[in-house]
Amino acid sequence: MEDERSFSDICGGRLALQRRYYSPSCREFCLSCPRLSLRSLTAVTCTVWLAAYGLFTLCENSMILSAAIFITLLGLLGYLHFVKIDQETLLIIDSLGIQMTSSYASGKESTTFIEMGKVKDIVINEAIYMQKVIYYLCILLKDPVEPHRISQVSAKPRLDCLIEVYRSCQEILAHQKATSTSP
Amino acid sequence: MVENSPSPLPERAIYGFVLFLSSQFGFSKYFPDGWLNTLRLKFWPVQYWAVALPVYLLITIVIGYVLLFGINMMSTSPLDSIHTITDNYAKNQQQKKYQEEAIPALRDISISEVNQMFFLAAKELYTKN
Repeated sequence: MEDERSFSDICGGRLALQRRYYSPSCREFCLSCPRLSLRSLTAVTCTVWLAAYGLFTLCENSMILSAAIFITLLGLLGYLHFVKIDQETLLIIDSLGIQMTSSYASGKESTTFIEMGKVKDIVINEAIYMQKVIYYLCILLKDPVEPHRISQVSAKPRLDCLIEVYRSCQEILAHQKATSTSP
Repeated sequence: MVENSPSPLPERAIYGFVLFLSSQFGFSKYFPDGWLNTLRLKFWPVQYWAVALPVYLLITIVIGYVLLFGINMMSTSPLDSIHTITDNYAKNQQQKKYQEEAIPALRDISISEVNQMFFLAAKELYTKN
């Protein structure tokens, strides 16, 4: 059973949240981020090249122009490969664990799996990020040494989207606690 | 308040005279007059520092702004650190016994309880939007 809704992230871009209910104990949430817009790409490229041209008129060294082109290309490739998230998926299987997959714009995918035995709770936490305070979903772990946590912040949705995901996750966790304490 | 009136006072006269003397002294450092020409060579190193020190001070102030901003950003805990959830005081606090019909004691509530209260119990607030 699939369900798709549209939300917005903290910068105002549109996010699409897709929920799939495979069974009462297994759910998947798929968050699709807005694509890289041509306008922002053009703006950044123009500013970098204008700055390089300004430096060139000061220094009369043509290496600056080729260096600027190089930097723009490498910067764009690095941004697409390491920073720009295309889609994020959270898969919860009741008795098994939680898997988070992030796929980047260059095609790279990185996956993290956490066993259900280690998960203490899933909560919505708020913290200072750069110059803002944001809400984000966070998985608390039961570590014997120090309960640390992993968070899923790459795509930053707003609170309404987080509440939907939080409610579904809490249903599964409550279901899991009930079945684990019953026998 | 007697001290806030603008009437002349002996302390103010003395401060004014000291300020007048120091400003004349300062001006003569930057623009040596004719009768100081003989002493000009003696003043050159002092004259360099008279320009250099204010410049140093201004640059220090500008760097201080940038440095303070950077230190603030560096000491913000990252998003996946445990310090955004709890700290030593909250972990070690003692649980007082619950008494009937008394206001519960003040303590830090764990984040799971707070979340359940905000987001699970308050369905009617959010389904309206």
